[in-house]
Amino acid sequence: MKKQFLIFPSVLFLSILLIFLYLLIIDRNPTELPSTLLNKKVPKFESESLFKEKKFVSSDVFGEKIKLVNFFATWCKPCRDEHSYVKRFSNQEGIEVIGINYKDNSQKTISWLKELGNPYSNIAVDKNGRIAIDWGVYGIPETFVVNSKGIIKYRHVGPITKKIYKKINLIISEIE
Amino acid sequence: MIKNFLTFKIFILIIAFCLIQFFSTNSYGVDPEEILQNQKLELRARNISKNIRCMICQNQSIDESSAPLAKDLRILIRNKITEGNSDKEIYKFLTDRYGDFILLKPPFKLSTLALWLLPFVFLLIGIFIVFWHNKKSKKI
Amino acid sequence: MAPYLGNFLLWLSLFFAISQFFVSKKNKKSKFITISVIGLLISSLFSFFLLMYSHVVSDFSVLNVFQNSHTTKPLLYKISGTWGNHEGSMLLWILVLTIFNYFIFKLYNEKNSIFVSKALETQAFITIGFILFTVFTSNPFETINFAQADGLGFNPILQDPALAIHPPLLYIGYVGFSAAFSISIAVLTLENNEKISWSSYMKPFVVAAWTFLTIGIAFGSVWAYYELGWGGWWFWDPVENASLMPWLLGTALLHSLITVDKKKSLQSWVLLLSILAFLLSVLGTFLVRSGILTSVHTFALDPSRGIYILAFTAILGGYSLILFGLKSKKYFNNNYFSFFSKEGSILINNILMVVVCSSIFLGTIYPLLVEAFTNNKISVGEPYYNSTVVPIMIPAILIMGIGPILSWGKGDMLKTFKKIFPSILLTLIITLFIFLFYQSYSLIGVVGVVLAIWIISNNTIILFQKRSNLSNGMIVAHLGIGLLILGITGSSVWQEEKIIQMKVNNEAKIKEYNIVFKKINEIKGPNYFALQGDFFVYDKNKNIITNLQPENRFYPVTNSFTTEVSIHTNLLRDLYIVLGEGNLNDGWIVRIYYNPLVVWIWIGALTIFLGGLISMNNNLKKLKYSS
Repeated sequence: MKKQFLIFPSVLFLSILLIFLYLLIIDRNPTELPSTLLNKKVPKFESESLFKEKKFVSSDVFGEKIKLVNFFATWCKPCRDEHSYVKRFSNQEGIEVIGINYKDNSQKTISWLKELGNPYSNIAVDKNGRIAIDWGVYGIPETFVVNSKGIIKYRHVGPITKKIYKKINLIISEIE
Repeated sequence: MIKNFLTFKIFILIIAFCLIQFFSTNSYGVDPEEILQNQKLELRARNISKNIRCMICQNQSIDESSAPLAKDLRILIRNKITEGNSDKEIYKFLTDRYGDFILLKPPFKLSTLALWLLPFVFLLIGIFIVFWHNKKSKKI
Repeated sequence: MAPYLGNFLLWLSLFFAISQFFVSKKNKKSKFITISVIGLLISSLFSFFLLMYSHVVSDFSVLNVFQNSHTTKPLLYKISGTWGNHEGSMLLWILVLTIFNYFIFKLYNEKNSIFVSKALETQAFITIGFILFTVFTSNPFETINFAQADGLGFNPILQDPALAIHPPLLYIGYVGFSAAFSISIAVLTLENNEKISWSSYMKPFVVAAWTFLTIGIAFGSVWAYYELGWGGWWFWDPVENASLMPWLLGTALLHSLITVDKKKSLQSWVLLLSILAFLLSVLGTFLVRSGILTSVHTFALDPSRGIYILAFTAILGGYSLILFGLKSKKYFNNNYFSFFSKEGSILINNILMVVVCSSIFLGTIYPLLVEAFTNNKISVGEPYYNSTVVPIMIPAILIMGIGPILSWGKGDMLKTFKKIFPSILLTLIITLFIFLFYQSYSLIGVVGVVLAIWIISNNTIILFQKRSNLSNGMIVAHLGIGLLILGITGSSVWQEEKIIQMKVNNEAKIKEYNIVFKKINEIKGPNYFALQGDFFVYDKNKNIITNLQPENRFYPVTNSFTTEVSIHTNLLRDLYIVLGEGNLNDGWIVRIYYNPLVVWIWIGALTIFLGGLISMNNNLKKLKYSS
């Protein structure tokens, strides 16, 4: 009994190290948070639409085809950096990109989109950031993948890079 | 002997007095315009805020942080308090959206059972070891 | 030239470490081992100096200098910049390892050559591990080919005197425990060392490590206090915890070494503790540099480095703990002692230190465990540590008052009570006075103050009684803890804060002070521009106390902003002011803090440090006489 007791520290120690090894090996970003909304329905919200006269009503917008939701702002540099990827998504068949303009000046946004190109089929204006909070957004840009039934399937925090672009495409091909 | 007993009585009285007087100091608001008028509600807001993590800072609560998201959440919490939501409802609102990560005090769940219980277990093991050593060595 | 020479010397130190490892197996103080030890020390010393030289002359052909320095950095920070980055800090780790290696070597005498050789073999192994890690994954002497006019600068927050000295002090701590580790391994591996008073060898290393770890942590905290802008000085950040855990085990080790020395009790426990203290130091290195978590403290994230350190820790830990499991049995003895004895109080102290350390370890790694096993992420923040650590520290501090005056084996309760009675009385009287005067009560505040006064009065009385059998170092260090608790209690419990919008010429009141926003200035520093507020502080009699000048700085080279707090300190409180955002029209957001008794945290830490130094001095004297 005593010997087993004395081996216990080394066993405990090595198990903890194994767990650390596991965490190191898997592809993880220590700063990124898993979304609590995964596999849940899109949060209900209504707001002004940037370009359209009709109000942006979430229940009308989601639940038809696969949609990407991109939270962005003109004052956010990484949003500018990822914009070409957002455009690429919008050009793909079968998916639409919804924009949510976070805490921004609408006029500035319109010029920004004129300059860089507008990939969004519709844009909701989130003046006070409440829509973002409802989506659990904490650092823009953030991009969500919503399937044709209005269920959130994936979230990425930060600008879309080549790697993430590929990943999202993979996810899109797997969902309906 | 008498001196000791008197001291002891005074000691007890002081402790009782202090316990009755238990209240925490005043704290003033976070950003001047955020402060609620009702002091009680404001105190609730401060206490909740101190337990909510600022997601984009390093190890700060939204009460201390100057980040925009922190400010939004502080205002949201105060709105919800004035609308009559309980602390529990407010925490649920936040964890529904941001997960348990946003709580600086880890929740009591199955997955955190070990976290909360183990320190007590450690203490009990420690006390056990002291008694066991004492007992064992007494025999010899 | 310098980087190539530096790199060569680094490889040379590896050579010496390897030679020391093999030559020490000969088990005697040969010429070869002397050459290895000295060669190792000198080559790592000069290698380190060459890196420092490169930083000081701003040699941007060295990648490390390019990435972390800039010509406009003040000289002091060019120097400290040597170790203010991952690669350079590894070089510092190695240097301190070789210095302690040398001190182990100095233990040699006619009777202990097998023992010391074994310790040197272990120390060599550790050093080899660190040097290999450095040369293969983190070589500071990497050069770049294209000429660079200037460097990438350096984080302005880190350009600070307290922060400059913080790492070297900490590393003396961590590496000091490596010496205790090596001695433990020697004890466990060797069969015939009854005559070797290994605890008297271990003691000076442990005291040195603990003393410098204490002051190193204190410098980190004082920096956080005046730099980070909200009056906090401890955040239960994983990296802070990584320094606190070896400190707690070191405290336990410090105390139980006494029982080994005097009574040969708790020997196997001490062997285990010294292994764990060093393992936690290495694990702490892992946490900071592996990329497994992020924190304000972490260095660049790199999983491959993490895997290496993990493997190295596994080898060290696996070997030492299994060795302990197999060999420690012969160090078990069953010397009887009652609870109410010096050994008893030391054992209780040890248990409590280990429980606190385990709780902190649990809290620190739990988020990682949750992440590994579920899809969830949780935070473990201050509330958790306050609920678990603080309650356990309370009995530990209470016992600290009685422990030193208890006798060995079995204490006499009545006698002890008589000895302690003046302190109890003094504690009650002073506490009563404080709360009558200060008039603000909260349960934890009362507890904290009572504990602090208990320790302070205990040790002041002992000092006055001039008991020759009690170590002065211990008394001073314990006194320091009392002062520290006073500071911690005051600043945590009774802090007051006022946040208001102020335009020039506005006034704000906090406690009995009146603060007037006199002017806003634009100033220029050596490598920054700043907006500075001039705040005049008046007491209730309208006398001016001080002129506080908080700043908002902009560093053009790194394109970053910092806020510089302005603090007025006296023994009773700090007045702490931060300039927020704003402009001339709307005014500025100003945060004013009233932090009672903060200065006693730093005074307490310094006092503990002083006690440690006194103790180190005494231990070294004893060591000289015994050998």
